[in-house]
Amino acid sequence: MNVIFSFLPVFLLLTFLFLLDSFNLVRVKTLLISLLLGIVCAISGYYLNTWAANWLTVDYTFLSRYIGPVTEETMKALVVVYLISKKKIGFMVDGAVYGFAIGTGFSLLENIYFLINSPDQYNLLIWIIRGFGTAIMHGGCTAFFALLFVGGLTRSENKLMVAFPALLLSIVFHSGFNHFPLNPVLQTVLILVLLPFVFLLVFKQSNSKLQQWLEIEFNSEVEILNMIRNGKFSSTKAGEYLKSLKEHFKPETILDMYCYIGLYLELSIKAKRNLMLQENEFPIIIEPDLPDKLNELAQLRKQIGRVGELALEPLIRMDYRNLWKLNQLIHKEVS
Amino acid sequence: MNVEVLKSEEYALVSVEGRVDTTNAGEFEKTMMEVIDGGANKIVLDCSALNYISSSGLRVFLIVQKKMMAAKGHFSLCSLQPGIKEIFDISGFSSIFKVFPDQEAAIKG
Repeated sequence: MNVIFSFLPVFLLLTFLFLLDSFNLVRVKTLLISLLLGIVCAISGYYLNTWAANWLTVDYTFLSRYIGPVTEETMKALVVVYLISKKKIGFMVDGAVYGFAIGTGFSLLENIYFLINSPDQYNLLIWIIRGFGTAIMHGGCTAFFALLFVGGLTRSENKLMVAFPALLLSIVFHSGFNHFPLNPVLQTVLILVLLPFVFLLVFKQSNSKLQQWLEIEFNSEVEILNMIRNGKFSSTKAGEYLKSLKEHFKPETILDMYCYIGLYLELSIKAKRNLMLQENEFPIIIEPDLPDKLNELAQLRKQIGRVGELALEPLIRMDYRNLWKLNQLIHKEVS
Repeated sequence: MNVEVLKSEEYALVSVEGRVDTTNAGEFEKTMMEVIDGGANKIVLDCSALNYISSSGLRVFLIVQKKMMAAKGHFSLCSLQPGIKEIFDISGFSSIFKVFPDQEAAIKG
């Protein structure tokens, strides 16, 4: 019974979050990797906390209230940062699910440790609190870090400035939980009721943003690409802007920029098409020439250089989300 | 947007006119669902008067296609204007749907 209460709730909530992902952004493989990395975090956290407690000569209460939240949340956050650096996370929805999975992995090992080392020390109520409260808190803290971090990345390119406040909040929440300011049972009930509700709200908002992004960008990209293919691009504002760059760049760079815009638009449209297909559970389409086109885009980006890319920012901004979008095509192509 | 539905024993012919975008995609989806729920085994969507479609509209097309496939029915598009056909070709949606040049071919197909 102890095992059921300590493991089941957090896995049920993870499944619930996974099912909320209507665009099928979350991949099972990455989800399992996140779980595994959460377990690795728990092992590292155990040794790090033990070392810190001995070095600072502090008791268990101090450790669980102040040191544990810092080390544990930092390690779990690093996994989120790693997934983002590998372009595995594109939106708040998938970020939150992977974040929650990392926390689930963490709490899984933590609870196994407690079960093995002190199976008779705790009564059923403690296991209920651990399973419904602590485990879900671990998942929730990392999910919120991911939500805030991914949300922030769409507004700012300064990763550190975005990550630090998000990490601080997750540490404060974790530490607050470990202080048990309320009756532990009441605290657990609150977490259990509030967290899914908050996730529902955030997921709803994130889904609507994703729809907007698809709607606005998809149409304008099709329109511009259409004009490029029909030789009407130069009569558009974007075309006029590109012409104005002639004074600052060599003719061959301008040509590369022109090709770059066209190719980027084509690949971007295809990535969004695949998102729409995924949403409706259709098999995605991978054109045979896709790898060549992706390579060509990378080459063109290199040839244009950083200055050229900055000059093209009013037309195409290779921000975090755009890179993720193209990475989806690479990923699908490889798999 | 204006949608007209003509039902016969063999097929349902839906003619869509104007724009299908975020503002009216829900209404369009509702009409299409009513046609499907009405038991149509073959739906032909005449797009000759469709002059704009956004990703919300394309999403409705996908939902209809999915429902028809699940019901082992047929869903086809016909008479796409060049601009709309271009959207389908550029995005690669042409390979997802059965697209016919005119109504007659779509009904036969």
